[in-house]
Amino acid sequence: MKPPPFDYSAPDTLEEALFLLGEAGDEARPLAGGQSLVPLLSLRLARPSRLVDLAGITTLTTLGAADGHLAVGAMVRERQAERDERVRRLAPVLADALPLIGHPAIRSRGTIGGSLSHADPAAELPAVALVLEAELVAESRARGRRSIPAADFFTGYFTTALAPDELLTTLRVPSSAPGTGWAVDEVARRHGDFAIVGAAAMVRLDTSTGRIDEARVALAGVGDTPVRLAETEQMLAGAEPADEAFADAAEDAATRLSPAADVHGSAAYRRHVAGVLARRTLKLAAQRAREAA
Amino acid sequence: MQHIAERYTGASVRRSEDPRILTGSGRYVDDVRLPGMLHAAFVRSPVAHARITRIDVREAAKAPGVVLVLTGEELERSLVPGPGIAAMFSGGAPVPAFTTLATGKVRVVGDPVVLVVAESRYLAEDACELVEVDYEELPAVMTPQAARDPASPAIFEDLGSNVLVRSPVAVFGDVDGAFARADRIVRADLRQHRHQNAPMECRGVVCSFDPESGELTVHSATQGVHIVRTTLSTALGLPPEKVRVLAGDIGGSFGLKLGAYREDVACAAASRQLSRPVRWMEDRLENLTFSGQAREESFEVAAAVTNEGEILGLRVKMTIDTGAYPGMGTMLPELVKTMIPGPYKIGALSFEWTAVVTNKAAYVAYRGPWASETWVRERMVDLIAMELGMEPIQVRLRNVATRETPPRRMVTGRSLAGVTAKESLEAIASTVDLPSFRRLQAGAREHGRYLGLGMATYIEPAPGPLEGKGGGGIMGPEQIRLRLAEDGTVTLFTSQMPHGQSHQTTFAQIAADEFGVPIEQVRVVVGDSDLVPMGFGTGGSRAATMAGGASLHGARALKARVKEIASHLFEAGAEDIELSGGSVAVRGVPASAMSLAELARAARSPGRLPPSLAGDVEVTAAFDGGEGGWSGGSHAAIVEVDVETGQVRVERYVVAEDCGILINPAIVEGQVRGGVAQGIGAVLLERSVYDEETGQYLSSTFMDYVLATACEIPRIEIEHLETVPLDADVNFRGVGEGGMIIAPPTLCNAIEDALSPFGARVLEQHLPPARILELIGAIPAG
Repeated sequence: MKPPPFDYSAPDTLEEALFLLGEAGDEARPLAGGQSLVPLLSLRLARPSRLVDLAGITTLTTLGAADGHLAVGAMVRERQAERDERVRRLAPVLADALPLIGHPAIRSRGTIGGSLSHADPAAELPAVALVLEAELVAESRARGRRSIPAADFFTGYFTTALAPDELLTTLRVPSSAPGTGWAVDEVARRHGDFAIVGAAAMVRLDTSTGRIDEARVALAGVGDTPVRLAETEQMLAGAEPADEAFADAAEDAATRLSPAADVHGSAAYRRHVAGVLARRTLKLAAQRAREAA
Repeated sequence: MQHIAERYTGASVRRSEDPRILTGSGRYVDDVRLPGMLHAAFVRSPVAHARITRIDVREAAKAPGVVLVLTGEELERSLVPGPGIAAMFSGGAPVPAFTTLATGKVRVVGDPVVLVVAESRYLAEDACELVEVDYEELPAVMTPQAARDPASPAIFEDLGSNVLVRSPVAVFGDVDGAFARADRIVRADLRQHRHQNAPMECRGVVCSFDPESGELTVHSATQGVHIVRTTLSTALGLPPEKVRVLAGDIGGSFGLKLGAYREDVACAAASRQLSRPVRWMEDRLENLTFSGQAREESFEVAAAVTNEGEILGLRVKMTIDTGAYPGMGTMLPELVKTMIPGPYKIGALSFEWTAVVTNKAAYVAYRGPWASETWVRERMVDLIAMELGMEPIQVRLRNVATRETPPRRMVTGRSLAGVTAKESLEAIASTVDLPSFRRLQAGAREHGRYLGLGMATYIEPAPGPLEGKGGGGIMGPEQIRLRLAEDGTVTLFTSQMPHGQSHQTTFAQIAADEFGVPIEQVRVVVGDSDLVPMGFGTGGSRAATMAGGASLHGARALKARVKEIASHLFEAGAEDIELSGGSVAVRGVPASAMSLAELARAARSPGRLPPSLAGDVEVTAAFDGGEGGWSGGSHAAIVEVDVETGQVRVERYVVAEDCGILINPAIVEGQVRGGVAQGIGAVLLERSVYDEETGQYLSSTFMDYVLATACEIPRIEIEHLETVPLDADVNFRGVGEGGMIIAPPTLCNAIEDALSPFGARVLEQHLPPARILELIGAIPAG
């Protein structure tokens, strides 16, 4: 379990990092918190010729609120985001999801951008980015800066829309309207493990009628990418936020999934739990929406 | 005799190991750095079962930093052929022929095929990738059913079959009569799953051969330095006196680190060939994939019972999957057979067993290796209670043996003298308040919450009553050497090899009390085959009774020697000499007091003592366990099962344990908690999974092989019963394995109780969330 040989660079600026990545093409890998990449190197499952360590690029570690958006730099450590009052206020579902990732020691190294770019379909942050309808800002020398909607970012198993020379620089989370509630939940073998199945939900209630204005739900661990349940959301739009509505919608959602099996759970188990968690998170989100209204 | 409150024995004396280990100053084999040291890595089989048709190491041999590349055939030329450590634990079963590095064929994923020695582990692993091995794959034999199929390809050609042992049927008592008299027969096929030791520190070795002296020095992470010495000296054809094995701190083992493994032998041979130190640290991938796995056993059980819940007899057929290379798999079934009646008055037993080889990692010892006897029996008791509509504890109390004169015997023979199963069952039942729990449970179910209560009881031969016959089995008594050093401290040399058991504290407590010095004046030396007395090492719960007893008797002998010396020096009768607080004096003459340091120096001064006493003040003692006695106890768990997700939460865990006289309550409780944690892990989390088609190992990282962490383990409430001394002096009993033996049935019983509204029967030990939902019919079995 020792990595194969690689070159290592530790640039101080984004420009320098983008230059190094552009120069090496798909032989290079950016190194963020290393919580996934380093084990992959040690298992020799990843064999980049060059690692570009982003730890020294201070412009990627800023966290701020502007233009009605929360902007989280890609190198903000998960632990830092988790403790940030602005994250709690502007993106409570992100704040609730972060403590589900590993343990404090892992989150003190792991970064927001690293987790999103790694795109593990069982990870919490990709599903949360989907449900938040976040924008992922990427930059490269060849293409400059572009903003990728979360819905377009996760393209496959551990695969994103990022080009090999491109870096995720910022997660932008839009503000939410009054009467919006959020919830996240997961079933994992142990606290801190990747989810067998995870769910993140949003419910916005019409403040006058009390009906569901908009519902969103995204799942982790049920496919090659995090999955947004569009049909379920449509079923719920305009409905009364009653337990039965969430139960029916979640049951319907589960039948549409075709998750893979692994040592932690069969496909049937994942499908079943996906329905349970979709229902539980929608119900909790609706309750919070009522409280927020 | 000092007042009891002034004794170290029985007090939670702080561990002398703590300052060293807790501040990161421990010295593990990974910390050993020798001048000129090289690093080994192994090319391992990527397939489960195949013939090796070609090995090409030429590119690897030319790679940067590579010093030596050895194939199995090349290595074999420097070794003495033979089964090595395997024969020691085979229990008399046939031991197939195999080589240290695989030759001809590979038999499991991870089988070592080629050794690469280089200037760093990185370079060695780079070179491993350049070794070309061609495999002609054979069908992988992955289950006992497949192994029993005469058409399955023989994993070991010399065995001719994958069935290693088919035992005769052993019959105790009138089995046919018991089944004829029974009101009912309760049957179950019970499965224990493969899981593994996974110590925090993997295996590791640094071998250093000195060509001048012809001596091999080995730094090893091991449970016993002498077994490593024996296995290495045998394999390398060196006299045992030319092999010195050293061990420092050990980061856990749980039965894994017994003797020299094939990798250790290869490194020792490489060091001899190169005349340079060679180091191999097992990495986690190697550890989880290949080091060894345990517990994969299945049972067909029939119990003859009366309608009142009396268990008249058992018929048991056991199958054990020993994996690809011989380990402990053929030794254990006989122990399971002997122990399966446990503390119960079961009057008849028939037992037969089959051992098979498969293309999986070798079956190794794991904390309470024979534990399936308790799991099977305690599961059956609950299944019987379910069948009869009784409270399980009523079935237990009806059937457990109470103390009688003369003591009752298990139907398999051993005396149940001093057994306290009834007392511990009553203790846990009272603590959990069974009637009020049943009310709480009924109320919760009305709200869709599923609580369950499980109990189980066991006894452990640690060492068990010995009836004057001595313990330790073929490993014999435990020896201790004690020396009074010139600074007045007592140095105690033991072959016990602590790897978490705190022997350096507990033996010092016993010796300090018996000898009469402050505990700081007792130093416990372990881990050097040139210094410590010959012995098996730590395992089989030998430490508390046998080594603890040897410490007591050794300290007593040293005290007698000191008094004899003092009587010469003081020209007084030995019976008039007092030893206390680190000095000796003639009773009633305080002015005569002489410190132990002065006495030790005087003993070495010319002419002051007769030749028989002059020189080092040193004694040896051996102890065979005396009268021995059972360890045991009863545990209770309260769980809540989320029947939508299958997740189980342990709400409460209650222990009533009896390990005789406690040497150190804090250490006893640490052992109990650690064992319970591993038992909870076994049931809820840990499983060594193979793909049954391809033979690939699917649990090779800690993302797939999930261990319990502090988040999963509840607070564990412990009550101690200290009852029934059998021996005149030594009534401490082993407590290291019990928690791991009894937590799995306790938890399985609790989960089945929680799921009783669904009519679920728990017939397997591993109950991850997906399986829970299958058992209640929420999802189809997958």
